[in-house]
Amino acid sequence: MCDELLLCISLYVGLTGLEFVLACFCASERSEQGSDTRRATHGMFRRYTRRDFLSVAALAAATPIFEVKPLRGIDFILQNSPTPHKYLIETMPGGAALFDYNNDGLLDIFLVNGGKIGNSLHVPESFDRATPRYWNRLYRQNHDGSFTDVTEVAGLAHAGNGNYGMGVAVGDYDNDGYSDLYVTSYGKNILYHNNGDGTFTDVTAKAGVAGGGWSVSAGFFDFDNDGHLDLFVTRYMEWDADHNKICGGDWHTYCPPGAFPPTTCLLYRNRGDGTFEDVSERSGIAAKKGRALGVAFADYDGDGFTDIFVSNDGMQQYLFHNNGDGTFKECALESGAALTSDGKGLSGMGTVFQDYDNDGRPDVLVTVLPRELYGLYHNDGAGLFSYQSLETGLGALTSGSSGWGVGLEDFDNDGWKDLFVAQSHVLDNVQQIDASLHYKELPLLALNRSGRFERADSGVTAPLAARGAAFGDINNDGWMDVLITTLGGPPVLLLNRGGSQHWLSITLRGTRSNRDGYGAIVRVNGQTRTATSAGSYVCANDKRLHFGLGSAAKAAVEILWPSGAKQVLKDVRADQFLEVREPEGS
Amino acid sequence: MIHLLLFGLLAGQAVASDAAAEHLRAGLEARKQHQVDVEIAEFRKATELDPGLADAFVNLGAAYMEKHDYGSAINPLKRALELSPDLPVAHQYLGYALLAQGYAAEAIPHLERVGAQDALGIAQIETGQLSEAVANFNAALAQRPDDPDLLYYLGHASGLLSKSAIDMLIAAHPDSARAHQALAENYFVLRQMPQAEKEYQEALRLRPELPGLHLELGKVYANSAQWPKAEAEFRAETKLRPGNAEAAYRLGAALLQQGKATEALEELKRANDRKPDMPETLYSLGKAASLSGDAQTAEKVWTRVIELEKETSLAAQAHFGLAALYRKQGKVQQTRHEMQEFQRLQSTIGPPRSE
Repeated sequence: MCDELLLCISLYVGLTGLEFVLACFCASERSEQGSDTRRATHGMFRRYTRRDFLSVAALAAATPIFEVKPLRGIDFILQNSPTPHKYLIETMPGGAALFDYNNDGLLDIFLVNGGKIGNSLHVPESFDRATPRYWNRLYRQNHDGSFTDVTEVAGLAHAGNGNYGMGVAVGDYDNDGYSDLYVTSYGKNILYHNNGDGTFTDVTAKAGVAGGGWSVSAGFFDFDNDGHLDLFVTRYMEWDADHNKICGGDWHTYCPPGAFPPTTCLLYRNRGDGTFEDVSERSGIAAKKGRALGVAFADYDGDGFTDIFVSNDGMQQYLFHNNGDGTFKECALESGAALTSDGKGLSGMGTVFQDYDNDGRPDVLVTVLPRELYGLYHNDGAGLFSYQSLETGLGALTSGSSGWGVGLEDFDNDGWKDLFVAQSHVLDNVQQIDASLHYKELPLLALNRSGRFERADSGVTAPLAARGAAFGDINNDGWMDVLITTLGGPPVLLLNRGGSQHWLSITLRGTRSNRDGYGAIVRVNGQTRTATSAGSYVCANDKRLHFGLGSAAKAAVEILWPSGAKQVLKDVRADQFLEVREPEGS
Repeated sequence: MIHLLLFGLLAGQAVASDAAAEHLRAGLEARKQHQVDVEIAEFRKATELDPGLADAFVNLGAAYMEKHDYGSAINPLKRALELSPDLPVAHQYLGYALLAQGYAAEAIPHLERVGAQDALGIAQIETGQLSEAVANFNAALAQRPDDPDLLYYLGHASGLLSKSAIDMLIAAHPDSARAHQALAENYFVLRQMPQAEKEYQEALRLRPELPGLHLELGKVYANSAQWPKAEAEFRAETKLRPGNAEAAYRLGAALLQQGKATEALEELKRANDRKPDMPETLYSLGKAASLSGDAQTAEKVWTRVIELEKETSLAAQAHFGLAALYRKQGKVQQTRHEMQEFQRLQSTIGPPRSE
């Protein structure tokens, strides 16, 4: 890297705007992947675009990939309402969704709120969700990058006094072309149908998906490949305010999960008529009780049916293999994806089910508490996984941290999915108990170097009590951004500064398959992604499939739709948002 | 306990007067019936009828002891010793009674006289004779190796002795490397890692050659998940003490944590060479071998762990490791067997806990 570059960087400080003219004498040295191409413009004035400049700056390694960006127009504070009673629900919210509810091409933001917890909570609990500060919120993105609160207009204002909000899932369950919302809670969950006119309707009762108990993460997927999105909901444990416990003796802390009985997850089959059938029992999902927090979907064994990975807290993880006949078999232990390599359970919280090492098979990553390592289960093929946290560098990166929301996204567009984790300990007083641990933490950004992760500067300088992390390209610049939710605080947007690498963003338009194309396996230039908005923790991600292409200006795209249709696109131009419609013929 | 044994001895001794002897016998008879109050009344009458009857005073003291009325036992026992200064049982009782009432210093000569090492050790803890106390507990443990009270008191006395020595060190040489090391150890126990790190670093600045300092500082870093720093300290310790097995083991573990499997394998092999068959070393060695693709070594050392540990959680982990190894090799039967063993141990000893 040229010395003169530092001069350029120092000149950039304080300048804003999408494009600016930067006059500086320096050699511009542009490194392109796999190429020796270099250009020198010694001694000349040159017109730089912001993108050009930032790409060089990012390579200097002095500039973080992300910039913490104020969210103009968003005044949301996540009201988790911590109390001296240490009600366990207080430390678990809250979700965020990045989705385009009005199909204007811009990602909007939905934020799940907790609720008010009074001095003493008793069954039936009331969380005062009618008061605006406890509402969930929908913010519409404007074309200037600011947001407008449209919660009330959209009909999303009041989430029910008995419901303490947790998470959100996004999917077009009725294939009408508009993304619908499913909000999970301690209490009852709510399915909001997107009417396509900027408003939503609570259709929970008709749909039959209220659930109950303590739901956390949820996701839409099509388990029976009938073209209609089904719904999976994780539930944490059997808990209510009258059976709360306080642990830690004089330290007075939240109790570990083992202090409460486990419970089952929920699986709803979409009948295709706007209603769902609870098939938790019939499918075999309810046969396994756990303490489930996160969920992610992928077809790990390539049999054409989407499988389910569930991250459980303080016990073994669950891998529900889809038998293809409407039933599932939990097989994490025999597949090697249940425990650490030492045979220990994990404090599983968030999870993601994508291919990190570009071998074409989806791998699993689970975020956990300190003294453990984030669990990385490499998909070895033939239905088997191997625990590879140490081999991939996660041992050194994660053993002192608590992870929640997690994503495997290619943030530097080099063709390898990087790791981002929203981090913070469960216990707000953990530092008093163990000075080496911290309640608020910086997020983890680890860049993927051919399958091994290396820490990078996330750009966040102040530790956060982070929980959810949603991933998407908020400003449509071809670079993945992150939205983090924080307990008792505002959401934090990490805007990707971008660079010079190429990219491709694909929106699937299912015809025979579900309209969102969830469950499709998309391969681009040797990379593989499963189409899904689920994963992370309590969050819903941008449903568009993002691929970093490195120096490649063209891409070969292969899509295996849930219907079984296979589609190949050659010589696809890089740096574009591409919508691919599923072929309608057989 | 001990006092019950001596009643038999006393019962056979001669008495000075028939009346007193009658009450003494009645008292002994009441003891057989577990009528303590009757015992006391009879022995008291015996002492009143014959104030020179040492046996009556000993038995009266013993009866009070049986009733846990140690304060009342003291005077008759003292009187018995005035009458018969060499009566061992009276010394023993009086030592116990005085100790129970908090008169440790007064109890010691009586307990020393009869060699009651357990009670003597307790008395010596109270009088601050910690080294002597530790010696007495060790001697008593040689006779009763599994006695929980003795084990507790030995630990207690040793801890106090240790604290006392450290207090002296810090008071006398506050700026010495050893004082900083001692403070660092305390902070480490209290999980105050930043303070522990600071004190170890100061100790190292003063005496960089001191054995163990790098090892301990490395543990501080390992505890805070600062693995590169931990590796550096463990490596420094291995250079300082190339023959130390723990330093090699810790270095291997730190390398393993960072995914440096090949380097870890070398260090763990070295640790095993220096101190063979340590189960933790062998288990980590298996992990490093497995990660390095050396399945043969992994299989060998994990099998050895199982031989050594049999039914422990480490054995369960070794079974689990073997299962993963065989699964990768496509050995279905062996995988199933190891998983069954893992699950069997889990069901009997509980699942391995996260660190």
